[in-house]
Amino acid sequence: MVFLTLSCWIRNRGPDRYWKVQELLKHARHFRGRKNRCYKLAVKAVRRAFVYATKARKQKKHNMRALWITRIAAASREHGMKYPALMHNMIKTGVQLNRRVLSDIAITEPRSFLSLAKLAQARREEGFRVALTDGSEPPGVFSRVVCQQ
Amino acid sequence: MSSFSRSAQQWATFARSWFLIDASLQPPGKIATMCSVRLQGKHKPIYHALSDCGDHVVVMNTRHVAFSGNKWEQKVYSSHTGYPSGFKQVTAAQLHLKDPKAIMKLAVYGMLPRNLHRRTMMQRLHLFPDDVIPEDILANLTEELPQPRKVPKRLNEYTQEEIDAFPMLWTPPEDYKMK
Repeated sequence: MVFLTLSCWIRNRGPDRYWKVQELLKHARHFRGRKNRCYKLAVKAVRRAFVYATKARKQKKHNMRALWITRIAAASREHGMKYPALMHNMIKTGVQLNRRVLSDIAITEPRSFLSLAKLAQARREEGFRVALTDGSEPPGVFSRVVCQQ
Repeated sequence: MSSFSRSAQQWATFARSWFLIDASLQPPGKIATMCSVRLQGKHKPIYHALSDCGDHVVVMNTRHVAFSGNKWEQKVYSSHTGYPSGFKQVTAAQLHLKDPKAIMKLAVYGMLPRNLHRRTMMQRLHLFPDDVIPEDILANLTEELPQPRKVPKRLNEYTQEEIDAFPMLWTPPEDYKMK
């Protein structure tokens, strides 16, 4: 036998278990029940939480886009247009604002959004306007055609 | 609006409005979509599911709601009491006679999102079978929404001048006997 005296039986199994445990428990402090205190339960809960967080990074992008679309649809319906018509006519006119910026404009700058909605409406009715009237530019809309003339 | 303080601006932005809809001679589904959009707050650009931005909606004349087609006889509302042999099926006409608000209530309930906010939103929906509305609700109303369906005029609602001014579609021959 190697350990013949009492002092040799003492093993130092790692000096920093406390801090390793605390490092994990700090991610579980806001959980409910014993999972926020007990290491064995917290290990499973924290691992699941991290997995959910990883998957949610993609879902967040989807959710945010859906929220922007809902907000833009609400704002455009306030001005008498529907969301698909608005977006299609904005693309046709060459306005390349994305949905995030459009929803911010709809909330913080309502008059700018109104002008964009009117632009989209003018582009939408362009076919009818050319057919029914003499085909002049609609009032209040600048276009490349006007400038080149 | 730019001269308001931040808190006053926020208070005004998130204030709850009261909408009035007249459901007489309107399809209940179309009324219900308008109600559900406003109860959720999806008509506002500041919408968020957690912000509690829904408004109140008052629907009057639910007794005079009008289904299209043969739905009064064909549409069936089913329920189960939970006890054995408790499956009940009622046609829309029978249900309407029993409770004139039930059709609108079930229509809006089915169009709201299936989460815990649904009950709160239903509490913000106020249904009245006729156009008699209590005064405290009348005092809160802010806006009336236009009806989704254009109500056609009955023949006896046209004045004689309008009937005479309507162009003749065909001229009957002299020996034709009109009933």
